[in-house]
Amino acid sequence: MPGVNFNLLWPQLLVTALAFAVFGADLLMRRPQRALLVWISAAGLVGIFVFTLVYLWGRNTTLYDGIFHIDNFSLFFSAFFLVIAVVVVLSSAQYVRQYLTHPGEYYGILLFSIVGMMLMAAAGELLTAYVALELLSFSLYILASYARNEPKSNEAGIKYVLLGAFSSALLLYGISLIYGAVGATRFQDIALALRGMEGVNSLLVVGIALVLAGLGFKVAAVPFHMWAPDVYEGAPMPVTAYIAVGSKVAAFALLLRLFAEGFAPAIDQWRLLVAALAALTMTTGNLVALTQTNIKRLLAYSSIAHVGYLLMGLAALSPLASTGLMLYLVGYAVTNMLVFVCAIAFYNREGKDEISALSGLAGRSPFLAGAMAAALFSLAGLPFFAGFTVKFYLFSATAKAGLLWLAGIAITNSLISLYYYLMVIKQMYINPASQPTPLRLPWPMVALLSVLVLGVLFVGIYPRPVVDAIQAATQAIFPGGMLSTP
Amino acid sequence: MTLLMMELLSGALFAIGLYGVLARRNAVLVLMAIELMLNAVNINLIGYAAFLDPGRVLGQVLAIFVITIAAAEAGLALAIILRVYRNRGTVNVDEINLMKW
Repeated sequence: MPGVNFNLLWPQLLVTALAFAVFGADLLMRRPQRALLVWISAAGLVGIFVFTLVYLWGRNTTLYDGIFHIDNFSLFFSAFFLVIAVVVVLSSAQYVRQYLTHPGEYYGILLFSIVGMMLMAAAGELLTAYVALELLSFSLYILASYARNEPKSNEAGIKYVLLGAFSSALLLYGISLIYGAVGATRFQDIALALRGMEGVNSLLVVGIALVLAGLGFKVAAVPFHMWAPDVYEGAPMPVTAYIAVGSKVAAFALLLRLFAEGFAPAIDQWRLLVAALAALTMTTGNLVALTQTNIKRLLAYSSIAHVGYLLMGLAALSPLASTGLMLYLVGYAVTNMLVFVCAIAFYNREGKDEISALSGLAGRSPFLAGAMAAALFSLAGLPFFAGFTVKFYLFSATAKAGLLWLAGIAITNSLISLYYYLMVIKQMYINPASQPTPLRLPWPMVALLSVLVLGVLFVGIYPRPVVDAIQAATQAIFPGGMLSTP
Repeated sequence: MTLLMMELLSGALFAIGLYGVLARRNAVLVLMAIELMLNAVNINLIGYAAFLDPGRVLGQVLAIFVITIAAAEAGLALAIILRVYRNRGTVNVDEINLMKW
């Protein structure tokens, strides 16, 4: 085939090779040596991260006749996913050793899901995007039910797989309707067909609604969020962190490219739908979060609320809003990783994930309590932390796109969310500890937490470099800064 | 057979599957209902390809991918259901309720 440059898929191929290397090493190693697998995975991922940045920098091309796009957008997200993967792998090390069996499969499957996420961000065609999404989802189903003899993990797995398969069916039916309406599945061909279309095409609107519902399940947007709290609570904790951060970032990368490159010409037919979904999602997430007693469930509802803010950026869909959305994803990812790594560090020591168990943490481990407080302040959106900066960008971009009412709802919601984040901080700093023994953390945890705290502060205080990278990525999906919104 | 008949057939199959997912309480039957929905997708894809897009095989290729992935999905879901059955002795989705709200 002319014009096919397989070399452009090297990052994905290398991560796949790394996954097989981990499987193979697991087979050859004796049991005590398997602790090394985490370092093999992490070192491999860091190597691939550097390679990807150097090798794909500044490329702007398509592969297989437009099925894959190798541009700044997919480069940005590939690098983003690799960083997330390194953090998840490192934070899993102690947890996997203590609570799970078969570390080889755990890290191998985690790496496969990274391949799926990288392909999702690069996909320029509906079916390719679907296959990549399933690669990610299948890996997550297995990881969620990874504690095989733990009834809660089983329950998380069965709920996740049944609702996930159901959402895939909705997504596919939507894809088939869109194919029927425009006769194409490549994003650019869809946009081309839509530009030539007059009036409202009911087949297309139902198709877009079903695609939105299917992907809404994957990101846990209300009313498709029922699985999220149960899966978050039941899944092993590093997997929960991974589902909360990785799968959402990947799904939004896909949504953003699909809507910007494919559905943008029909924006009047779906904007209100997405905006309503966003308003419903953030309000429900925040209100239900107020009553939670388990830290994983609290974070599940908090992440549902954040998905609402993110959908707002999709409803606005301008280059500015898309920059805001991607910046929000960065802030969301680094903050959520921080709060989850804190929870994992605590769980590794105490084996508890109730919020009441955190009481008096400030006296027992000032460092852990401080890191957790920084993460919660950032989630609530207080200044100097990542959460404030990214909210500021996203909310003002939404308001500029003519969705002032939506930005207003979002700001009200941010204020509500402050309450339940502060309740956790009160538990740590004001309530007395039930057993005032000091809590010591192993050095890799301390190092990881320090890096993440610095990351939260960096994005919060000096977001310029990140914004520059994101603007380059945005230009790749908005050719010529099209679609100026009223 | 016309395009409308094809659309009605696939729509009916999808609706039956949707009803099955919402009404069935046995996890295996829920999975079967999901397979019905996926088959409705295949009918749609092949039908649209045959009626609207003859000469190209895009729809048929998509259907082959969907069939393959559906098979993998069924295998994975059954494995997880089997695990739940070993540990809990039930696959009724109403009784799998350790976690709520």
